[in-house]
Amino acid sequence: MTLRIPCPNCGPRPHTEFMFGGQERPHTANDAGADFARVFLPDNDPGSARERWFHALGCRTWFELTRDASTNRIG
Amino acid sequence: MTPGSLRFEGREIPIEVGDTVASALFRAGVRTFSRSLKSRRRRGLYCGTGECPNCMVTVDDVPGVRSCVTPAGPGMRVERGRGWPSAEHDLLHVTDLMHPLMPVGFYMKTFVRPRFAWPVAERVIRRATGSGRLPEDREPTRGTSRHLHVDTIVVGAGASGLSAALEAASAGERVLLCDAFPIGSQVPPGPARDAIRALEARVRAEPAIGILDRHAAVGVYDGPTVALASGDELVQAHPRRIVLATGATEMHEAFPGNDLPGVWLGRAASRMAGLHGVQPGRRVVVVASTDEGLEHLRTLVAAGVNVTTAVVPAAFVDEVPSTAEAIADGELVSARGRGRVRSVIVRERGQERRLGCEALVLSTGLAPRDELARMAPDEPVEVVGDAASAGTVPRVTGGYLCLCEDVSGRDAEQAWAEGFRSAEILKRYTTSTMGPCRGAMCGRALTAFASARSSEADRESASRTTARPPSRPVALETLARSVHEVIEKRTSLHETHLGAGARLGWSGGWKRPFAYGDPREEYAAVRERAGLMDVGTLGTFLIAGRDAPALVDRVFPGRVADLGPGRSRYVLALDEAGYVADDGVLCALEDGSYLLTSTSGGAERMDARLREWTHRLGLHVHLLDRTSELGAILVAGPSARELLEPLADDPLDPASLPYAAHREVAVAGVPCTAIRTGFVGELGFELHHPRSRGPALWSALMDAGEPVDVRPFGLDALEILRLEKGHLYIGQDALPDDTPAKLGLDRAVDMTKDWFVGKAALERLAAIPLGRRLTGLAFDGGPPDGSELRGMPVMVGDDLVGRVTSAASSPALGRSIGLAWVRAIDGQIPAEGLRVGDAVATVAPTPFYDPGGERLRG
Repeated sequence: MTLRIPCPNCGPRPHTEFMFGGQERPHTANDAGADFARVFLPDNDPGSARERWFHALGCRTWFELTRDASTNRIG
Repeated sequence: MTPGSLRFEGREIPIEVGDTVASALFRAGVRTFSRSLKSRRRRGLYCGTGECPNCMVTVDDVPGVRSCVTPAGPGMRVERGRGWPSAEHDLLHVTDLMHPLMPVGFYMKTFVRPRFAWPVAERVIRRATGSGRLPEDREPTRGTSRHLHVDTIVVGAGASGLSAALEAASAGERVLLCDAFPIGSQVPPGPARDAIRALEARVRAEPAIGILDRHAAVGVYDGPTVALASGDELVQAHPRRIVLATGATEMHEAFPGNDLPGVWLGRAASRMAGLHGVQPGRRVVVVASTDEGLEHLRTLVAAGVNVTTAVVPAAFVDEVPSTAEAIADGELVSARGRGRVRSVIVRERGQERRLGCEALVLSTGLAPRDELARMAPDEPVEVVGDAASAGTVPRVTGGYLCLCEDVSGRDAEQAWAEGFRSAEILKRYTTSTMGPCRGAMCGRALTAFASARSSEADRESASRTTARPPSRPVALETLARSVHEVIEKRTSLHETHLGAGARLGWSGGWKRPFAYGDPREEYAAVRERAGLMDVGTLGTFLIAGRDAPALVDRVFPGRVADLGPGRSRYVLALDEAGYVADDGVLCALEDGSYLLTSTSGGAERMDARLREWTHRLGLHVHLLDRTSELGAILVAGPSARELLEPLADDPLDPASLPYAAHREVAVAGVPCTAIRTGFVGELGFELHHPRSRGPALWSALMDAGEPVDVRPFGLDALEILRLEKGHLYIGQDALPDDTPAKLGLDRAVDMTKDWFVGKAALERLAAIPLGRRLTGLAFDGGPPDGSELRGMPVMVGDDLVGRVTSAASSPALGRSIGLAWVRAIDGQIPAEGLRVGDAVATVAPTPFYDPGGERLRG
């Protein structure tokens, strides 16, 4: 029911306060090919990945964290 | 409690001090407390601890109340749930005789053919099952939801739980101790209760321990989180560590006749006799093989119950009171009787003996309540006390394995024969363990059944079942406590609208006026004179800082670098896949910062998007969401300038404030940012002002507009106005995967820019022919109110080619118009032969009204 997300500003808070921003993959502003792969060819691997989260019902900060998608372990 | 009486199916039944609903009813002679789910067998008091389904009755219109743990109160209205015409005389009891016709899983096998018969069969089945009727006119009760953060939660306030709480507190932890009942209330008087009272006193003196009694732990989730439900609140506890001291129930065994009224578990019988002074029966047989069972035997005898026979292990024989015959190492074979126990068959040294009796009391082992532990195997859960004991393996020789779902031993045999060969899939097929006891009674019987039939190698995997929340029945109403109430957003003009008789409705999280009277009159005012609209719901953002120009250049696909101070421009927002997510108007300010307005419903996502790209691109931008501090009023219509000029301190002429420009002006003394917009297709001024000044500005505008007969207009009129201009609502007219090209919004995209969010995707998509396009349609025929066409399919011959996303009767065109997405056929978007219902649709270029835009530029 409650995954707790550690917000860098607010500390650990229930996931219902957050918006999931997807997997973080290196972003290059001027390389269309890499950009396309990043958007349309996601890894979708189980296990640990860097993810972006937005504390929508809190400080409204974007941040990254590492979460294991198969166990929900963060860090 | 003041003794009085409760009302039971039309009878007054006296209650005594300390009575539960069940003890009062039983004292008054009620033996059948419910009818079983499928076979309609009589069921009487059994577990006495609020686990089994037998004692469930309807109390004060609330069905499914465990009468054995519900204190009786004067004036309570109590009814039995199932039974037709009554639970006492249930004609549907014939289903018990038809058992061979209703095998396990019968609802998946019978009534399947012929297909047309199912709706009839379903109605009959629905009426025949269920455990009571929900009141239909009852108001939902109010309650709260809260979160608690602690180091340790201890579930269960028995001796083990109280000790565990004290131990954790002495280690410096903050502890939450919870129990479904008041502490100690379920323990009969005696040394055990005294010990609990002593521990309770120490716990209550310990400031680090918080107590939530009458809160049942119903689930363990990731986090870990423990959900606690009580009558009026839902608590989500977030501990670091969970200690489960949920204890054990007395074991339920499946043998022929095990579900007859008069078969009791020891705790129920000794409580009925010891606590309430009511004898479970005139002649009683006790089968006890645990220390607790011996205790129950003594309690019964001390209460004056005529225990004729005690079946005990040889080691216990000396402990049996002399008034009872002791049968050493006897084996219980079956209970017999019609509608209630009349006799018990016991095998003694190979010989079967029939013992006449009115009650059979069983205390043959413990079944640990470990459901919560089995819900979250990866969480830091520690199980203590009886809940951690191995328990006893129950015998399964017949009778009813599962009381809630009426699953007999025969049913289980049949399911096994059909190939459902592990406890887990037996559970799913028979629905055993899925009833109101949540497996507390039947779980171990099911496991024992599967385990006994599995090979050694399969035994462990074949017999383990998972547990899922809730571990106790919870009212949906209680679970809904965690659903936050809808927040109703209001503009500063809310009262003004109500005063003007506006019909308000939901729109994008706001309550907004849809119409003040006849929308057609409001429409006419805007087209011919002037209208006022409250657009304070628009998202408004200040984008400032060193990299503000870089951010807007990259987030919006259009060209914005050339947007000079004082100018505004329509912008789209794309996601990375090139799909249109939102739109808005960007205004460049003097100091290099920007004012952005976004759609009312999309403001929060716009804020998130701008912050996301500031973060991802590493830009230096200050973003200020001004949505809640700014109000806005749209003054639109050919007379808008005439209306405004006398109130404004600054010039509003076309040279000073042309279309797509904005400037600071004071209107009626209120400082405003005036933006020249054209969403409705007429000369328009959007006046963004401090929220608190909204009502004053609105009434000044209404007063100044009196000579031109100004009217307030709502969303209904706006729908026609914007549709005549072919302007779209992203949320209504666009599909989630619409690119600018599909929406005909290419003009808002500049592919020569180096980079913007979604550009890579648009480049790829440019090579693919358009699969569909948002198209303007003009209709001939069809319903008089064109808005009825919205949502209807667009056909070409028999082919479905699209859907109408917006439609209205256009006064300006004298016909119905709309927007629709239309699919390409053989690479071409069809332009002819389109039909929507009875209406013939013609593809029409947008805007339908004032295509040159002279009116809005005026």
